[in-house]
Amino acid sequence: MMDTLGGVVLVIGSLFILLAAVGALRFDHIYARMHAAAKGPALGVLLIGLGTALTIRSAPATVAVTLVIVLQLITGAVGSHMLGRSVYRSIHPPLDGPDELAERENTN
Amino acid sequence: MINIAFIILSLAALLFVARLLIGPSVPDRVIALDGLLITVMCGVLVAAADERSAIGIDTVLVVALLGFIGTGVLARYVEQRGG
Repeated sequence: MMDTLGGVVLVIGSLFILLAAVGALRFDHIYARMHAAAKGPALGVLLIGLGTALTIRSAPATVAVTLVIVLQLITGAVGSHMLGRSVYRSIHPPLDGPDELAERENTN
Repeated sequence: MINIAFIILSLAALLFVARLLIGPSVPDRVIALDGLLITVMCGVLVAAADERSAIGIDTVLVVALLGFIGTGVLARYVEQRGG
């Protein structure tokens, strides 16, 4: 019963990783690709960790999986923010709307 | 079920490798490498679920930290050198 539930959650989590990969391959500019590659894996790692914990069902595994999930949620967001800022400052890709960050950086 | 998860993760890794090869800029390749590392993390987690042992999960922690540090270093590199 728990094994089946864990297996289903593992498959759903892998589908999120696949979705992120499709987005990173198919979207047409770098901010869209970065958005796909940052948000998909957060949920994917969350679900795959949950599935692993449900399948193994032991205390050490659950603690380690919780650490992995928390670490991934924090570092994924921070890492893609750092990369996005460096893309904004060095490559200057075309934007869809007004550039509010430029006005803010010029006033400082 | 676990075999299906492995197959889906392999497909995802293939798509990330395609993005890694076609680029076109350095940040695109950084995104692809980061996604590939996350795919590896998920693969090790699924393998741990397959074997029902908690040993492999510590490896996932190390890979996650390595990926974060690598992304940070490459972001600084892109910022100073340009795409």
